[in-house]
Amino acid sequence: MDYTIIILLVSFVVLLAINTPIAVSIAVATVLTMLATMGPNAALTTVAQRMASGLDSFALLAIPFFILSGYLMGQGGIARRLINFAMVLVGRFSGGLALVNVIACALFGSISGSAVAATSAIGGFMIPAMNKEGYDKNFNTAVTVTASTTGMLIPPSNILIIFSLASGGVSIAALFMAGYIPGLLVAFGLMIVCAIYAKRHNFPSGLKYSFREGITHLLAAIPSLFLIFIVIGGIIGGYFTPTEAGAIAVIYALILSVGVYREISFADLPQILLKSVQTTAIVMLLIGASAAMSWMLSYEFIPQTFTELILSLSENPIMILILINIMLLVVGTFMDMTPAVLIFTPILMPVMAAMNISPVHFGIMMILNLSIGLCTPPVGSVLFVGCSIGKTTIGEVVKPLLPLYAAMFICLLLVTFVPAFSEALPRIFGLID
Amino acid sequence: MSPLAFFVERIDTILKNVLIVLMALLLVDVSWQVLTRFVLPTPSSFTEELARFLLIWIGLLGSAQAYRHKMHLGVDILVKSMSTSKATVINRFVQIITILFSASVLIYGGMKLVLLAYHLEQKSAAMQINMGIIYLALPLSGILLSLFAFEKLLAPPEARATSTTNNTDNVEGA
Repeated sequence: MDYTIIILLVSFVVLLAINTPIAVSIAVATVLTMLATMGPNAALTTVAQRMASGLDSFALLAIPFFILSGYLMGQGGIARRLINFAMVLVGRFSGGLALVNVIACALFGSISGSAVAATSAIGGFMIPAMNKEGYDKNFNTAVTVTASTTGMLIPPSNILIIFSLASGGVSIAALFMAGYIPGLLVAFGLMIVCAIYAKRHNFPSGLKYSFREGITHLLAAIPSLFLIFIVIGGIIGGYFTPTEAGAIAVIYALILSVGVYREISFADLPQILLKSVQTTAIVMLLIGASAAMSWMLSYEFIPQTFTELILSLSENPIMILILINIMLLVVGTFMDMTPAVLIFTPILMPVMAAMNISPVHFGIMMILNLSIGLCTPPVGSVLFVGCSIGKTTIGEVVKPLLPLYAAMFICLLLVTFVPAFSEALPRIFGLID
Repeated sequence: MSPLAFFVERIDTILKNVLIVLMALLLVDVSWQVLTRFVLPTPSSFTEELARFLLIWIGLLGSAQAYRHKMHLGVDILVKSMSTSKATVINRFVQIITILFSASVLIYGGMKLVLLAYHLEQKSAAMQINMGIIYLALPLSGILLSLFAFEKLLAPPEARATSTTNNTDNVEGA
């Protein structure tokens, strides 16, 4: 028992350190650990079988569709319309462009389900616009990076679907509803920091629109916002499954970007399909390898052992939640969100069950926690993309990032210790009891 | 261009086109399912199964394709801080690990699974396809993955190309 954990940890960490793709590291570490307790024939066949069956799920199919609709919308002129819409809402306040940036990132992150896509689509426009108005470019980059992660919580969100899978089937509809308040809470926290920062540095207010212009921009954004309504309404109302909602989102985005806005032509479609396949495949290989690993973990009783270990350290739920959050913050700085969710959800679920913490509450807490990791060096995909778009370096962005981290951290504390933030909405809709 | 590079390039192009077709098919399939459920009186029975099988093929074959283009996620801090010559050695070692993984799990383990399903005549529920055909994606992906890793193993060291993975792509839960 003890030496299997050692084989697992050592092989996994060494493989990761030498830059083996994470999915391959997971699979190889799993095989090596299994070889300690079973013959090579059984180990190899089991891993292959778990990888294939791990991908064999209708719920997973929502992921390629939301990825595809995200790409269609990133190139389809939807980002610009959302920015104009946000400008009408908050542009007139001091530091207006920063507030616009937060709202546009949250809206786009929600629609596209990808923080990286939001950073490049919204940041690509907003960072230069803010630079021109005399805002500090490092601050602009920091705001874009942190605000983009709110899309992980605000549905539709692929990472919540992945959590649902890793947790053994927590309702996707419940998770989607649970993400709204925490996601908006983070956006609101970031906007407060922006407003204070703007006051201190005397940043100008953004554009003021006449009533007529405001209405025009509002109307232009409605087709894009309507997508959220169809997808979420359809899932919550039980009209279609998340996968079907994903397919509808793709068709809708296709009609909007190819037919109505005409910013994508039919000739662009194969390339967009290929990009979605590649992104999907990266996630799928991680899911397949993690399915093999979590089978092996439960075969070796590792989640139980871990639960006993944690509960032997403390019986106090507050202490345990703090401990787990610290652990996840460390994990998040070194590992991307998808593999972290896939690996740690099955290990942590029994601990949460022992403390009567609902899977929905745990899932939202975990995603919010790992969102902070997306914006921290040394491994932070959103931070890297943000820096390349903002034409700055990680070292320079860290300083303006600090107050924004603090806002996210306060939200994490609230979501961790006040279950109502995540549980109230799904309860109102009768999705959990 | 060396014969190997030419060959690999051709395979990559074919693979790309196959993947684009599979993805388009997946979209048509699920859209058809939605349509039949809401419009036609009889919801189609095979679309859900077909979609699941397409995803297995897209995921596994797409993984090999993404590997060639260094798109998989990884942790490259340590490798980036090394000299080019050291990083190249490590990178070649990673290619060997990938080849061993492909050969043992995907090709050997996958082939065992295919043969087992074939002999047991394990059929899918709706379409009555032998599951061996579905599982064939495993060894096929293994062959492609090892081919692409082999190409990287032989590639000359380049200053900026020593990383096996990527940290900036659109994949954080995508």
